[in-house]
Amino acid sequence: MIIAADHLSKWYGHVSGLNDVTVSLPEGITGLLGPNGAGKSTFMKLVTGQLRPSAGSVRVFGEPIWGNPAQYRRLGFCPEHDAFYDHMTGVEWVAALARLHGMDDDAAAAAAKRALEAVDLLDVGHRKIGSYSKGMRQRVKLAQAIAHDPQLLILDEPLSGMDPLMRRRTIRLIKEWASAGKSIVVSSHILHEIEAMTANIVLMHNGRVVAEGDVHQIRALIDEHPHRVWIRAQDPQAVARTLLARLEPSRGVADDVASVRFEEGAVVVETPKPDAFYARLTEIAASGEAGLIEEVTSPDDNLQAVFTYLVKP
Amino acid sequence: MSGPLLGPARRMFELALGEMLWGRRAVFMGLAAGAPILLAVVARLTLAGGSAVLVVNGSRIDSEAMFGTAVSLLYLRFIVPALGVFYGTSLIAEEIEEKTITYLFVRPMARGAIVLGKYLAYLVCVVAVVLPSAALVFVIMVPFASIGPLFGTVLRDLGVMALGLATYGALFLWAGVSFKRPLVGGLIFVFGWESVALVLPGYVRRLTIAYYLQPTVPGVATLLAVAIIALFLAMQTIERREYVLEQ
Repeated sequence: MIIAADHLSKWYGHVSGLNDVTVSLPEGITGLLGPNGAGKSTFMKLVTGQLRPSAGSVRVFGEPIWGNPAQYRRLGFCPEHDAFYDHMTGVEWVAALARLHGMDDDAAAAAAKRALEAVDLLDVGHRKIGSYSKGMRQRVKLAQAIAHDPQLLILDEPLSGMDPLMRRRTIRLIKEWASAGKSIVVSSHILHEIEAMTANIVLMHNGRVVAEGDVHQIRALIDEHPHRVWIRAQDPQAVARTLLARLEPSRGVADDVASVRFEEGAVVVETPKPDAFYARLTEIAASGEAGLIEEVTSPDDNLQAVFTYLVKP
Repeated sequence: MSGPLLGPARRMFELALGEMLWGRRAVFMGLAAGAPILLAVVARLTLAGGSAVLVVNGSRIDSEAMFGTAVSLLYLRFIVPALGVFYGTSLIAEEIEEKTITYLFVRPMARGAIVLGKYLAYLVCVVAVVLPSAALVFVIMVPFASIGPLFGTVLRDLGVMALGLATYGALFLWAGVSFKRPLVGGLIFVFGWESVALVLPGYVRRLTIAYYLQPTVPGVATLLAVAIIALFLAMQTIERREYVLEQ
């Protein structure tokens, strides 16, 4: 096992962030799935040694992580929060952090370029991070996590804010890293994202692990609830038109859009068939027929409804 | 302290040196260094015009005495502590506030190395700005013929300023890793407590840094001790303390 938590708890004052979690994560990709406030980020901060357990223990590669900085040679972390030294360029930032792993200037610069190339950012690596789009900022965070070639990657909501194409590209990248022998723990509140990467899922809710393993039943439950997708685009009307046009029976396309409404600069779609919908949305983004799709997110109330069902007595 | 210190601290120093010039407090540092030079130029021009810049009890104050006043009141009682408070408290607290500390904490180095590297970057930076500023003020204000005889005194003044920057910086760095809102407390200490305590009778004034910066007080050993102890405590605190970054 790469990570072993034993009766792990974390309290923030009187608030419980994680509650008596015992779980072992194997090699390969593990998805941490749960709504906002489920304890995913707290778990990841404990696993990366940023927080000290209030009770219980967590071991990474068989060793404790809190106060054990040598562990970070084998570990890369991509945090959820959008924080950078904005005045630095992508190459400068990733290289500067790589140097903190003991690399000399040349090695760090080479590592930074390799990492940025892996996340398709090398061509804008000379630009200041402050000028990056949300998706680019997500990717440069991934680059700093992989630059030192770690054995274990902890990725907190890495797909958040990415456009559909980059989302697909990043999922492929994560799977490639796993194929190359790396272990990855990735969190999300969107089952379909996690499912695209792995069948090994840990479900979290209210600071507890409520299920783990290959969770087909959960999948079925989630499919029974309409799934909401928020799409920010240059022309939201065009996106809606394209999505709805395909619903015409004469064109023989599956009915994957239940409702559509508009918000400022975005269209919000409810879909009963998320897999089919996401696949179609990616095609639309790739073809450019509805203009530029800038960001796709899914609010966590999709999952919240399922968890409310799961945990009710 | 876990793991080696000096190598990681050197790498952290190099990263932090660039950061020092980009923070929002860089403007303050520029003002702190530039304003006395501007004042010195004005004083020099006024003296050259035959007017007295400062007259006390009917006696005209000469430029050497004015330089001494600038050192003790402007530099040692305002610029040095203000830079110590603003930079010292922000070195780690700003990284926590902006959540960039995460990227530093997940590197294979003792957290103490982060503190040491950042502190040294602060010290190099402020010394490189404040000391040349004071030296330039000296050259502008003091007549050429007096520069030679006063050279030793000026060197001593510059040394005291460097020591003041080191001590205030270390003290407020410790405050920055220990408290959530360290700036307000730091300002109260420097411009409230130190101002009051220095005029109180008895030994209370010894509980200030400013007391040991006075030319009449042999305070080098005390200032060095405070700087080293505060730096050590800051390094220990960051190793043990967890920082919960709000989502």
